[in-house]
Amino acid sequence: MELTVTKHATCTFCGCVCDDIELHSDGTRVVETKAACILGKSWFLNHDVVRHYPDALVDGQEATLGEAIEAAANYLYEADLPLVYGLSNTTCEAQRQAVTLAEMTGGIIDSHTSL
Amino acid sequence: MGGKPSCTLGEIRNRADFLIYWGGNPAECHPRHFTKYSLMPKGKFTPNGRKDRTMVLVDIRETASAKAADIFLQIRPGKDFEALTALRSIVKGKRVEESAVVETGLTMEQLNDLATRMKKAKFGVIFFGMGLSMTRGKHMNSAAAMTLAAELNAFTKFVAMPMRGHGNVTGADVVVRYHTGYPFGVNLSRGYPRFNPGEFSTVDVLVRGDNDATIIIGADPGATMPQPAIDHLASTNTIVLDPKVTHTSRLSKVHITTAATGISAPGTAYRMDEIPMTLRPPLKSPYPTDEEVLRRISEAVARKAAWYPTPEALMAAV
Repeated sequence: MELTVTKHATCTFCGCVCDDIELHSDGTRVVETKAACILGKSWFLNHDVVRHYPDALVDGQEATLGEAIEAAANYLYEADLPLVYGLSNTTCEAQRQAVTLAEMTGGIIDSHTSL
Repeated sequence: MGGKPSCTLGEIRNRADFLIYWGGNPAECHPRHFTKYSLMPKGKFTPNGRKDRTMVLVDIRETASAKAADIFLQIRPGKDFEALTALRSIVKGKRVEESAVVETGLTMEQLNDLATRMKKAKFGVIFFGMGLSMTRGKHMNSAAAMTLAAELNAFTKFVAMPMRGHGNVTGADVVVRYHTGYPFGVNLSRGYPRFNPGEFSTVDVLVRGDNDATIIIGADPGATMPQPAIDHLASTNTIVLDPKVTHTSRLSKVHITTAATGISAPGTAYRMDEIPMTLRPPLKSPYPTDEEVLRRISEAVARKAAWYPTPEALMAAV
């Protein structure tokens, strides 16, 4: 595989969010990091884009993405008080969508801050 | 900044000559914090780097960060609020009882010295970690640290900043704040936002069993939360979005695999000083991003009738 170099990559492991990291990747995984700390290095080296897991699981059985989305929407819609939680290992764009979802379903939205 | 007496890490790098780390271990948890932002760098008004700065570490035990500190203050566990309150009094020149100081595990001399150094600093910072904000007193401890920093501005420039853990937890605060007016623990069930930590915060909601469905984005409470909370997640309808099949996925009704943020999913993440950073993912994931999945779930919900009385529905009923 061809080696690609990503300069000024941003690490999202801890709250420092260092944005001066150089990453060398072979298309499926990061093979080398420059300027990253020990935590950032293990964060980048321990993720790849191989299909280790099914697209989705519904009741423990493999399902398509569309089926899982429909099931999730039904559960949240039918709930009297849904809770939207997590949000720290994701992007701000996804967080915005999460707020929309919480408002639409009349739920509670909360993050790791409250832990 | 949500009313906090805060600043950016760049200002600290260029100006701060007095640093207090309270209840945190940056040497092991934020390894580049010292070298990139706070203690070591040579800045515009700190041209000699480390030599221009004084660092104080307040913690319950001597961690790896103590080696970097000029002064290490070992505080008794759970006495942070008392110590901060005593410091606030000393800074204001009020009399503090010896007995009130003794219970914190520190001495009057240590607190007096610290208060003097804080007032003499040109630009001081209190970085507080989870050792302060997640122990006895919780958000009241954070409030005490920020109040101390705010009050010190009567004498010199002083700021307080939380040492945030997980990557984009600051972003979660910022995004929820600019949408609802509150940073976390927001209840939208009445159609307008209500904020009450302790009532609408996740652990409390789950342990009391208030909610009847949960969607978890990039978190694994099944591995970290108290057992009654996990039992409630397992007995109600739980949905998980995560790059991996986690403990929580195994006890939930729906799991959707998503791309890993910053590695195979693009977007924005906030640094602990509330500066947004663009992510530059080096890889392309076979899975959709959290953003796409959440948007499609919202669209699926939007196709159903609104749960609240819409003007159209009210007019039709007349």
